[in-house]
Amino acid sequence: MQNAKDTFYITLRNRLASVSPDRTMTLRGVVRPGILVEEAEAPAAQLPLDVFVLRWTKLGTDGQMPSTLVAMTCEIHYATSGTRDNMGLDRGRALEAMDDELLRMLSPASVAKMNYTQNPATQMGTSIFWSQPVFTAEATTRERVGRVATVEVFTFQEQGEL
Amino acid sequence: MSADLSTQKPDKHVFRMADALLRASGGTTAYLQMPLEPGDASDEGQLGLDAPNFQPLGLSPVTMRRMKRVMMEGQPQEYELLVSGSAVAAAVGEMQVASAELLFQMAAGVVVAGELFLIESVSISESMGAVYMYRLLLRESASGWQMQS
Repeated sequence: MQNAKDTFYITLRNRLASVSPDRTMTLRGVVRPGILVEEAEAPAAQLPLDVFVLRWTKLGTDGQMPSTLVAMTCEIHYATSGTRDNMGLDRGRALEAMDDELLRMLSPASVAKMNYTQNPATQMGTSIFWSQPVFTAEATTRERVGRVATVEVFTFQEQGEL
Repeated sequence: MSADLSTQKPDKHVFRMADALLRASGGTTAYLQMPLEPGDASDEGQLGLDAPNFQPLGLSPVTMRRMKRVMMEGQPQEYELLVSGSAVAAAVGEMQVASAELLFQMAAGVVVAGELFLIESVSISESMGAVYMYRLLLRESASGWQMQS
C-alpha cells in the first residue's frame, strides 16, 4: 500500500511540475513543486496556501480476487488567498486555476507502481489507478478560499509487498 | 489623512528592557529546529524515508509559561514562549532569511528544556516600528521527541 501512496504522490508532483512550473514552494530548505504529503512533513497549525496537500484517510480491501485489491482514499486539500498584487481580489480566479491544475494532474488516471524504498526506484509488476475526483463546495474563511478533492486510489497487493 | 511627523528618537532601550525582563523572569534558551542547507531534494526525503536532519538555532533570552486553559482528554497542553526581538533579529541575519515570519515558518518546531513543541501561531509586540518581543503559541509534540545531547 505504501508503494501505491508513494507512486501516487510522485506522479502528481511530476505532472504538476510540467502543468504549472511556477507553482513551487520552499520546504525544509528545498524549492520543489507545490505539493506535499501531509503525513511525511512536519505537522503544521494551518495548511499552507497555494499548495496541494495530500491527506490519506480511508482504507478498504477486497479479498475476493486472486490478488487483494486495496482502495485508499486520498483527500487533496488546497486553498489560496489570491495574490498580493491584486490585494487578494483574484482569490476566486486563483482557486479556479488550482482546480484546473488538479484535473490535469489527475489525468491519465493510472500509472505503473514503483518501489521508492530502493535506490534507484524500481518498477513493480502492477499499476495503480484512481477514480475521478469529487470536489467539495468552496469553503471561505476570511480571505482564504479552499476546496477538498477526494480521489479513490486502487492498487493490487503484490507478493511480499507491505 | 496626514502622517505623524512628531519627533521620535528610536533607540535600543526597548530591546534592552525586553531582554532584561525576560532574563529576570527566568530567561532561558530555546532552539528552533531549522532545515539544513542545502535540504534533502531527493524523492526519499519527500516520502518520509530519509531522516530530515534539522539543525538547532538558539534563541536567548526566552521565557516559557503554561497557558491557562482547561485540560481536555486527548488535547495537548499549550504554552506561550516569549522571545527576545533582538535574538530573533540576530537569527534572521544568521539564517539569511527575509523575515522573522519566514524564519518561524521554516522551523519544524522549537525545543525548550529538551522537549519538542510545535509552533501554532506567532504574534508580536513593537515600539516605533521595531519588534522587541515575539509571542509564540506552542503545543506539546505528541511524538515525545527528546533533544539529543
